[in-house]
Amino acid sequence: MATKAYDKSFREEVYDKVDAGEEIKLCMQCGVCGITCPLRDEMTYGPRQIWSLIRAGKRDEVMNCSDIMLCTSCYTCKVRCPRGVKVIDVMHGLAHYALQEGIVPRENTSKFGKFFWNSIYKTGRIDETEVPMRYSMRRGPIHGIFETLEMMDIGRALLSHKRMHFKLGPGIPPSKKIKGIKGLKKMLDKAEAMSPGKEA
Amino acid sequence: MDKNYACYLCKGCGLGEALDFEALEEALEDSDISEVKDHEALCSPEGVALIQADIDGGVNAVLIGACSARVKTDEFTFGKEVLVERVPLREQGLWCSEAEYEDEEEAGEDRQMLADDYLRMHAAKLGKAEIGEPFQLEEDVEKGVMVVGGGVAGINAALAAAKAGAPVCLVEKEDALGGYLGKMAKLGPQSPPYQELQDTGLEELVAEVEAADNIKVFTGATVEKTEGAPGNFSVTLSNGESFRAGAIVQATGWNPYEAEKLADELAYGTSDKIVSNVQFEEKAKAGDLGGINGVAFIQCAGSRDENHLPYCSAVCCLVSLKQAMYVKEANPEAAVYVIYKDIRTPGQSEEVYRQAQELGVVFIRRGEDYPAISGSGPFAIETQDVTLNDTVEIEDLDMVVLATGMVPNNPSVVEPPLVALGMDQDEAAKLAEEAKAASDDWSVLNLEYRQGPNLPTLKYGYPDSHFICFPYETRRTGIYAAGAVRRPMRVTQATEDATGAALKAMQSTRAAEAGVAVHPRSGDDTFPDFFMQRCTQCKRCTEECPFGAINEDAEANPLPNPTRCRRCGVCMGACPERIISFTDYSVDMIGSMIKSIEVPDEDEEKPRVIVLACENDALPAIDLAAKNGAKWSPYVRFIPLRCLGSLNLVWIADALASGIDGILLFGCKRGDDYQCHFIKGSELANVRMSKISETLDRLVLESDRVRVEEIGFGEVDKIPGILDEFMETMEEVGPNPYKGF
Ligand code: SF4
Ligand code: SF4
Ligand code: SF4
Repeated sequence: MATKAYDKSFREEVYDKVDAGEEIKLCMQCGVCGITCPLRDEMTYGPRQIWSLIRAGKRDEVMNCSDIMLCTSCYTCKVRCPRGVKVIDVMHGLAHYALQEGIVPRENTSKFGKFFWNSIYKTGRIDETEVPMRYSMRRGPIHGIFETLEMMDIGRALLSHKRMHFKLGPGIPPSKKIKGIKGLKKMLDKAEAMSPGKEA
Repeated sequence: MDKNYACYLCKGCGLGEALDFEALEEALEDSDISEVKDHEALCSPEGVALIQADIDGGVNAVLIGACSARVKTDEFTFGKEVLVERVPLREQGLWCSEAEYEDEEEAGEDRQMLADDYLRMHAAKLGKAEIGEPFQLEEDVEKGVMVVGGGVAGINAALAAAKAGAPVCLVEKEDALGGYLGKMAKLGPQSPPYQELQDTGLEELVAEVEAADNIKVFTGATVEKTEGAPGNFSVTLSNGESFRAGAIVQATGWNPYEAEKLADELAYGTSDKIVSNVQFEEKAKAGDLGGINGVAFIQCAGSRDENHLPYCSAVCCLVSLKQAMYVKEANPEAAVYVIYKDIRTPGQSEEVYRQAQELGVVFIRRGEDYPAISGSGPFAIETQDVTLNDTVEIEDLDMVVLATGMVPNNPSVVEPPLVALGMDQDEAAKLAEEAKAASDDWSVLNLEYRQGPNLPTLKYGYPDSHFICFPYETRRTGIYAAGAVRRPMRVTQATEDATGAALKAMQSTRAAEAGVAVHPRSGDDTFPDFFMQRCTQCKRCTEECPFGAINEDAEANPLPNPTRCRRCGVCMGACPERIISFTDYSVDMIGSMIKSIEVPDEDEEKPRVIVLACENDALPAIDLAAKNGAKWSPYVRFIPLRCLGSLNLVWIADALASGIDGILLFGCKRGDDYQCHFIKGSELANVRMSKISETLDRLVLESDRVRVEEIGFGEVDKIPGILDEFMETMEEVGPNPYKGF
């Protein structure tokens, strides 16, 4: 039985508002992206089928699908796509667009993304201790302590190799800022204002 | 002719060490050849000079024992007055025979017998060969070309021939030139970057035709009658005009597959908004595409469907892309869907596909099932969506376009099955009658040929041709097919096709003038000669000639038309009276080759096997196998045939009667995907072989002794295996009891 009629409004929304959204017009459904993706076993649809869903107008399926936040930016699909579709750009574009629309397809990823982004925005760098600490505390300090204990071995190894520095807790001591952080913030604000759906 | 023989043996390429040259000379003792010379490298300038000096001194029949006739052809050709027979001692004697022997001496002995046999066989052939005069038509050879069909292929064929200097008569049944090109609104993108629709360019083409002073255009006319042969066709048109033509290009184009037949599957006929792609094009041409907000193109409408057109027309995908672009051009907001099985956009057309995607056309892949169309406008479609693995629905469609395929505009000819040949004549007549009834009863060229008025066709009505090697050929020499009547194709391809066919047509008039064959035996100046006194009017030659070369005269005698002949020798193989021969190829010559093989006594345990091999594919493959180092039994002797279809059954009987243990026949692939260069040759050989059992029964011999194998040129590796296996079979069945008789 036919599920739902093809509807052009969602694909047009994607072409207009999603970063790199128009790219998917050129997809010929070969499936190379889906099959080369290292996360294919985790994904419900994979990029190829997500494009199909967009074309068919299945907004809910796409926007709520965790696939769009699972992309690890490995670039394999983008390199291999015979049509030159910037697959990962669209995946990130969709994730971003979903958040913007108030939809959170994958809670953890979106939180991690937020701490990651905040670290860059505030200090101009990724603080390798600060970001994981904040992430593990995302559900409160008790949960954070347990999660940190679980990761203790890795943490120790990272410390001993100077891949991480010691902190008492998030912001103690505060992360160092880069020089010219003000300029960077300005740039990021401007980019934000220029992103699809925001201009004019 | 008075022959003055000489034989030259080459000692190069290892032959000198491997063979006993005195023995070779002795092998020729019973022949007419007394002069035998050898040289360290016959193909060297000195070697060639040695032969040339003798020729200058009066030698005119030369036997060259060296390498295969397929190599060193420049070196060993000495002009029209000299007969040359090549003995492939290197390929078929030396290279293939180094099997491991315990006993060096025995190896040498077997190889020597092989070389001796080859020398005797080819000497026997040379002894019977003659130099003939090429055939000349009584009339002047006409160089003009008739082009039938004034569409894109016809116009371009006419222009190409006219530019190359041939006068052209262009015949078109409509009142104006153009064909389907005239019905098109635009062409799809034809040149980089493949983004813009283009004008059809018809006006320019027609202007060019009008400006050419050697093209005569007959519109509103069809061909009433075509008689004669290449170099000398006389044509009468429906308007009473008549003219001569040297060759013909048939460019009669295509017809759309009837959308009416899709009423059940695709609701055709329920609304005037469900249209075929041809109708949609007409609307586009009339500027009638306004107000479309939603449209779906359904690909393979009837195509690639066993119940309709089983083949892919190769154009309808591109046509739909183009038409989708029409819609997007008129209304960029329109929702345009293409529902396809596969998008087939070969070569640069892929760019057109991209362009349509860029414009926002949505492609939905369906499975084998047709989408279900409902409503009376706007329409809804329910279709399988393979990429979503779901059934989906599309609504609000103002129009549905069925992308139907192409059918050749040529009557399809159903040939009576070949088994009818040579069988009970009443039965054969009945089958022929049935076949005729199954064929369409119209004709494009109305040929006055004994074999019927139409070009023989393949199963879908496309004129039969050796598709890969000789694309434009039809089975009527001098008549070439171009454009969509040959196979489904688009405008650019038809344009190229037209040039190819026009040049082939001109080439065939040149061949008629020189009295030589066209492909595949281009340049061959022999032709079949009929010893009419002994003809019993059995009609096998007229029936079996794949090219309809033989008519019948008023007394029902075969009437050969040598300019129609391709020199395959099928008639020679067919004739039960054996009265058809060529100056360098005859039943007697091959028979003599077989008889000059020395068959050792049974107790020597050295069997003899002959392989009658097609010289187009099998023989080159054998040479190549030997060159690649393949080895096989030294008891095998190869005899080249022009085509396996020239096989005369008397050879088999002769060979078995003279004690040869087994016979292999190597021909090209037969059947629907035949590879036979003469189209029906290997098929006919098989039919004849099916009758060989009588002969074997009469001789009280096992049927295992004769076998037919299909060998393609690409199947070089198969050859040693086939030969080994056959030798094993020979061992099992034991020696031929006729040895020594
Ligand atoms: S690899 Fe490219 S063309 Fe193929 S399915 Fe993925 S996006 Fe589409
Ligand atoms: S060209 Fe396309 S639509 Fe036409 S038959 Fe082939 S695959 Fe089907
Ligand atoms: S069968 Fe072959 S050789 Fe004989 S007339 Fe026909 S084309 Fe010529």
